[in-house]
Amino acid sequence: MAAPGAAGGGRSGAPAAEWGGFEDNMQGGGSAVIDMENMDDTSGSSFEDMGEMHQRMKEEEEEEAEGEAGAGEEEDGEFLGMKGLRGQLGRQVADQMWQVGKRQASRAFSLYANIDILRPYFDVEPVQVRARLLESMIPVKMINFPQKIAGELYGPLMLVFTLVAILLHGMKTSDTIIREGTLMGTAIGTCFGYWLGVSSFMYFLAYLCNAQITMVQMLSLLGYGLFGHCITLFVTYNIHFHSLFYIFWLVVGGLSTLRMVAVLVSRTVGHTQRLILCGTLAALHMLFLLYLHFAYHKVVEGILDTLEGPNVPPFQRVARDIPVVSNAVLNTTAKAIALTL
Amino acid sequence: MSLCFAPCPRCQAEEQPAGGGFVPSDMLLSPQQSYSGSILQPACSPAAPSQLGYVDGFDEEPPLLEELGINFEHIWQKTLTVLNPMKPADGSIMNETDLTGPMVFCLALGATLLMAGKVHFGYVYGMSAIGCLAMHALLNLMSSQGVSHGCVASVLGYCLLPMVLLSSAAVLFSLQGTPGTVLALFIIGWCSLSASKIFTSALAMEGQQLLIAYPCALLYGLFALLTVF
Repeated sequence: MAAPGAAGGGRSGAPAAEWGGFEDNMQGGGSAVIDMENMDDTSGSSFEDMGEMHQRMKEEEEEEAEGEAGAGEEEDGEFLGMKGLRGQLGRQVADQMWQVGKRQASRAFSLYANIDILRPYFDVEPVQVRARLLESMIPVKMINFPQKIAGELYGPLMLVFTLVAILLHGMKTSDTIIREGTLMGTAIGTCFGYWLGVSSFMYFLAYLCNAQITMVQMLSLLGYGLFGHCITLFVTYNIHFHSLFYIFWLVVGGLSTLRMVAVLVSRTVGHTQRLILCGTLAALHMLFLLYLHFAYHKVVEGILDTLEGPNVPPFQRVARDIPVVSNAVLNTTAKAIALTL
Repeated sequence: MSLCFAPCPRCQAEEQPAGGGFVPSDMLLSPQQSYSGSILQPACSPAAPSQLGYVDGFDEEPPLLEELGINFEHIWQKTLTVLNPMKPADGSIMNETDLTGPMVFCLALGATLLMAGKVHFGYVYGMSAIGCLAMHALLNLMSSQGVSHGCVASVLGYCLLPMVLLSSAAVLFSLQGTPGTVLALFIIGWCSLSASKIFTSALAMEGQQLLIAYPCALLYGLFALLTVF
């Protein structure tokens, strides 16, 4: 830390007395230890001002390069006085911190926010997407041979967004009111939470059960499995029959679940492991469809039940029952009034 | 302020100005002269000879709209391109980032929604911003050449114009029945076809127009939900 001090001292040679004063403040004069307590904290060592400080220092360096260094520095030193020289050291320290911080931040950003690592998963043609959508409803028969899973993220991502849109449409048509949050936030949270959360959980289980599947493949498989959910919800949110929903749930939901289960079975060895994996996936997938239907469509069903319920008879006037005692009181009163008249 | 965003033949044909002239000489000589050059690139006008160091007087200042880069003629031309999804688009439309037209259309959408009794300006701006970010990420992943935020925002904003027609219709009659749904679906298709046409022609992704049209349709579907309900 004494080196920048020495360099600073070498640059401005004129105010020697002030430089000597600075040295006097150091304990055990001549040692490399700088007593930070004596540093003037107000002279530009704050981190927030580092950008301006850096700019100013760049300008100072440019001035030196043009040969006006001597006069400029002297004016600078005389203008700032004692504070300027003490602050210079602090400025350089803070400047180094700024540089290091900036370098680390840009390195971290280029490493984690580099979207290009996802580029190969979006390289698809429309025919491929259509073929995979249709295949996701057809269970494979050959489970002794590991089935190929396309490691693609475009189709699953679009299917999740489609499910969000269908949910939103369903919530709007049924006038669902979400008290803690927004409709959009709920829909996105539900769908993305299911896709990412269940994929991660199944990947973890697959790791435990020694299944041969990667995370991207799991995401892709589950994403394409949502195609059945999209179809079922799209139809049953618009045509409101309970029995129709159960048929769609079993047939369409069941087909897409069977497909996913078959692919997983083909990639797992051992009966117990196969049972664990496939049982979990089937349960989660089918229950999610049930949940989506019942959680976001209750209001419409309630209204329909009211409309289709038994006919309520119109309001009828019913005579009030007057007890026998009051009849006697009425008669006595009438007689009393008649007597007085 | 220089108007030259890209080197164009007119500038290179004439002398280079000394000191980077601010005011194009033809604007000084004939203020009524309209913008020249193609609609998709701002006109590069030659600067005055070296006797003009910099602009000083009020009379020599360029008009405000020219300084702001707002050119109504260009905006009108681009609007006509967007309104006809069947006409093949010019790929060079992505070279210029013009956010004035999109801002006008977003304001128009908010105003027509206001006339229908819904104050949803915040939702329109928020959904536009998030939609632009998402489309920018997706287009960068799917195309071999990159695309900037401004271009994506510009294209998506221009293609929002049919949605303004839908929300004007919502002022006159309720869209919550079958005819309203059919009209909304038609408008969504129109918007997304225009947007995907411009994106595919600019980013050279010919076979993938449907793949780009679908996310655009989802985004415009959100606007339609806002309009209908």
